[in-house]
Amino acid sequence: MMKQYSDLEYLRLTRWQKFVYKLLSFFSAIPLAIGHFFANIGGWIKKGVTAVADEFKDIGTTFIHGDWKTKVSYVVMGFGNLARGQILRGLLFLVFEIVFIIYMITAGGYWMSMLPSLGKLGPSQEYNAVLDTYTTVYNDNSFKILLYGVLTIFFIIALVYTWRLNVKQNKLAEQILKSGKKLKSDKDDLRSMVDEQFYKTLLALPLTGILVFTVLPIIFMILVAFTNYDGTHNGYSNNLFTWVGLTNFNTLFSWQSAGGGQSYSATFGEILAWTLMWAFLATFTNYFLGMFVAMMINKKGIRLKKMWRTILVMTIAIPQFISLLYVSKMFARNGLINLTLLDWGWIKQPLPFWEDPTWARVTVVLINIWIGIPHLMLIATGILMNIPADLYESARIDGANAWQQYSKITLPYMLFITGPYLLTSFTGNMNNFNVIYLLTGGAPTNPAASGAAGSVGYTDLLITWLFKITTGAESQYYLASVVGIMVFVVVAFISLVVYNVLPSIKNEEDFQ
Amino acid sequence: MASVKLTNVKKIYDNNVVAVHDFNLDIKDKEFVVFVGPSGCGKSTTLRMIAGLEDISEGTVEIDGEVVNDLQPKDRGIAMVFQNYALYPHMTVYDNIAFSLRLKKVPEDVIYEKVTKAAEVLGITDYLMRKPRALSGGQRQRVAIGRAMVRDSKVFLMDEPLSNLDAKLRNQMRSEIILLRQKLDTTFIYVTHDQTEAMTLADRIVIMKDGYIMQVGSPDEVFDMPDNLFVAEFIGAPKMNIIKTKLLLENGKYYVTPFGAKIEVDGDKGKELAARKVKAGDVLLGVRPEHIELADAAAHAIPCTLVVDEMMGSELHLHVDADADGTRLIVRVPTLGLSKEQRKKLVRGAKLNITFEGVAMHLFDAETEKNLLT
Amino acid sequence: MNNTEKRHMGLKALNRVSNTGIYILLTVISVVWLIPFVFIVLQSFRVENTYQVGYVIPKQWGLQNYINLWNSDFKRWYLNTLIIALAAAVFQTIIQLCMSYTLSRFRFKLRGPLMRFMLILGMFPGMLTMIILYRVLSDLGLTQANAVPGLILVSVASSGMGYYVSKGFFDTIPKSLDEAARVDGATRLQVLYKIILPLAKPIVIYTILTAFMGPWGDYVFARYVAFGTSAGYNVAVGMYSWLTNDQINRMYTTFCAGGVIVAVPVTILFLCLQKYYVEGVTGGAVKG
Repeated sequence: MMKQYSDLEYLRLTRWQKFVYKLLSFFSAIPLAIGHFFANIGGWIKKGVTAVADEFKDIGTTFIHGDWKTKVSYVVMGFGNLARGQILRGLLFLVFEIVFIIYMITAGGYWMSMLPSLGKLGPSQEYNAVLDTYTTVYNDNSFKILLYGVLTIFFIIALVYTWRLNVKQNKLAEQILKSGKKLKSDKDDLRSMVDEQFYKTLLALPLTGILVFTVLPIIFMILVAFTNYDGTHNGYSNNLFTWVGLTNFNTLFSWQSAGGGQSYSATFGEILAWTLMWAFLATFTNYFLGMFVAMMINKKGIRLKKMWRTILVMTIAIPQFISLLYVSKMFARNGLINLTLLDWGWIKQPLPFWEDPTWARVTVVLINIWIGIPHLMLIATGILMNIPADLYESARIDGANAWQQYSKITLPYMLFITGPYLLTSFTGNMNNFNVIYLLTGGAPTNPAASGAAGSVGYTDLLITWLFKITTGAESQYYLASVVGIMVFVVVAFISLVVYNVLPSIKNEEDFQ
Repeated sequence: MASVKLTNVKKIYDNNVVAVHDFNLDIKDKEFVVFVGPSGCGKSTTLRMIAGLEDISEGTVEIDGEVVNDLQPKDRGIAMVFQNYALYPHMTVYDNIAFSLRLKKVPEDVIYEKVTKAAEVLGITDYLMRKPRALSGGQRQRVAIGRAMVRDSKVFLMDEPLSNLDAKLRNQMRSEIILLRQKLDTTFIYVTHDQTEAMTLADRIVIMKDGYIMQVGSPDEVFDMPDNLFVAEFIGAPKMNIIKTKLLLENGKYYVTPFGAKIEVDGDKGKELAARKVKAGDVLLGVRPEHIELADAAAHAIPCTLVVDEMMGSELHLHVDADADGTRLIVRVPTLGLSKEQRKKLVRGAKLNITFEGVAMHLFDAETEKNLLT
Repeated sequence: MNNTEKRHMGLKALNRVSNTGIYILLTVISVVWLIPFVFIVLQSFRVENTYQVGYVIPKQWGLQNYINLWNSDFKRWYLNTLIIALAAAVFQTIIQLCMSYTLSRFRFKLRGPLMRFMLILGMFPGMLTMIILYRVLSDLGLTQANAVPGLILVSVASSGMGYYVSKGFFDTIPKSLDEAARVDGATRLQVLYKIILPLAKPIVIYTILTAFMGPWGDYVFARYVAFGTSAGYNVAVGMYSWLTNDQINRMYTTFCAGGVIVAVPVTILFLCLQKYYVEGVTGGAVKG
């Protein structure tokens, strides 16, 4: 254990000692935190087990002590509600149960049974007696099996949850009736949908959308990472795909070269490094320059504030694909800039904006500044105007000059408030598909890496690489899934670290 | 430690609004001066001009004999406590207090000595590593004062420093400011809208209204001898009762006739009126609530009806309407001398007789609203 | 400059010098930011040739590019995009407001876990889900020529995830207003549409505006869904095809004309509602 200083002792340290002390306490806290985490795991497991045990106990006692209406409800969901006059609730339970049973018999059972194999019989050539030829007959569909298999699991979980709810309601209803009170009528239920339970009404639609169009696809794609789903195994019209375990992760992380070029892991590493560099540059150049522009416009005594702001804001409105594509062509080898400069005789050769790796990367960052500053300017303006004027007055009396006022007050204040924004902006830039794809499409091509999964360029981000993997002739969906999971891991790791280091996320009300 | 001198100071804003008219004031070394007045009277503006936070439109401000109009705030040798404390939210208490010293490149061990000493004086040693957000209002106030203390400035400026605190804390901090002043022994300029603060803290009070100085004087002076109706009403709580009446001169004696009663202006005040040869006519009569007494029906008693009775603890505030014309008056009655039966009778609708003595009266010209005796 | 000189010069004069510098910088910035757009407009009127050239001001002015536009599939693309944008503006706004209002105002057991779950969901690259969504849409017959309803469905369905900005705004409306209305006998539904929505006008307009503007620049998923079938393109996918290597020399100026036709209405709408956009960004975005 390191020595703990009291406040006064700590303040006596020199700046370096303070820094070292903080660093040491930060790192000495890590094993402690990990220890806590593992100590907690035991607790969590215990808690989880007792919770599950309690549930089962409750289900059992409810059955033993319950009246016949409750007992019937264990098999016929909603029976208790119906028998006690809560028609609406009862019908909902009952209908759900019936639908579930019909679904499981007609389809769900099949999908579930095929899930472990993802299909047994691929397309086959069969003799067609009518046409007197062999035609292709499509049999199992791995894609659908995986998709509907997952969906069926969702459905089963939903049924278990609903059934448990049904049991709970019976117990509650019995208790209420015993104490001589009245049960809630259907009318009460409907009314509560716009009052106490209004949040359920409001969330129903958005959450269903997210569940079906985000959660389900993400689970599906995570599962795909463990299959060999690609263009030649599309699961239906050519070959079925099947589970392959961790093979794909091994492929991505193996050092063996693939198809004559670099290994996947080398390509992945290069792209990840550029992605992080890009996200860092894109975020902070925009941040500081945007703040700088905002401060210029906001300065006391500058006239036509509204006009300057409007000019910049206007560029936000123009759809990015127009501005990005146009600017991309402006910088092309035979684009406006090169042609003009050649005309004027300033250069002899066209500048290799998109041909040279370094030129391309710098140009992308510069154009991104052009795209991003107006937005940052708006955000910074909002915050700058919220900084209490008396902080600056106090600083002036304390003797701070303009630079010190900026570095000691404005900047820390901005960083504090925009901490969460910076984080989302950083991860957003990591996944900034539009800017890269519309500007360069990943170019210039990296010849060394081109062996791995389509053509890879020097400005490709993980996200554009992922896109290329899925669109090429090979369409290695499984590899795209693995890359997608890796993007998630990187983003989650960065977020986690930043969340634990950034003070403004922890104490978000410091400035209020 | 320094004197402050304001000569013909004026503040005119861009939109031609004049916030301060021709302000002249000589503040002596180690004096505690309070600017008081209703909001918008120009008191804060004047303070901010002394601090250098506002341009001075006309006139000069001198600190210690040096004209400081063109000096930066930091070069004026002042320290200031702000109404909202203006603590730097991202810095710890220690860093907040140390901020100005660090800007001056004072060695860290000197800073340590100064900050911990100030913290000890203010009783905030335990909070040095906290951020302002984790402090209560009173603690923040102390940090703000601490920050001003370590600057060793010649003049200490305070802009409504107590107005964000609750009543109890305000009383406590007020007495601490008195102690602080004894410890620092420097010149204080203090702005407030609360006359109680002004009365309790000040050596001299500057009462302002609409950018003009209405009166400058010690607490006793402004209370006993208000220059004009505004000061009379502003200083003292509850505020002075004002009655429109006539001044009569009979046989060399002056009388006032509030609500038909006839009361002689006797003692020094009568002599002073005579000496100044004041003519009879319309006057405004001011009587402080504590100078009105309950009386039996008598020739010079004024019949009233009780409207509201406010129990304040040591005293009772009675809001009464004069039966003659319904003018609302406030009477302060000490509860100490009041028997239970008497107290019981003092309820809404009760008929009372009130009276006051000539020495307690303030007389103002009905038109100019100036005190007839100054 | 030493101290006494500074005093003589006065703070005002110093200010004037630095302000002049700022004006010059701001002018340069404005020019840099606007010039590409000016170029697009100028080149859209160029008649003499259709590829990139080394000058900006057309030698021969005319509307030929706009006529070309009229004779191409651009009309269809434009209509497609407009329909998607309008649908998104309506449904996305409703869904986002439901979500953000609920998360700002109600305290229910699953609120924290729900928000954390969505945060984690957001860390997955959305592009991953395209593959499966494409397959699902194509099973439903909503791809290629029928891409428009498919794109609407997908863009609306997950829009609940983007609740941060408007939640940040709702958080700034004092809760005591809700409580006062509840004490006065309003149900939660009435609180929403009688108290909160009128106060939330800026954020409602902001949400509508961003939802409407989004589809105009939507490229990647639209291309995925409508792949190869011009009738299902939106403007971004369609016009992108004009700048591919084999088409650029014929279609460059037409692209410029198309850019003008797309950008002008959106920009005018945006400038009219600029106030609300700024309020949304500064009020909700950062706090959220």
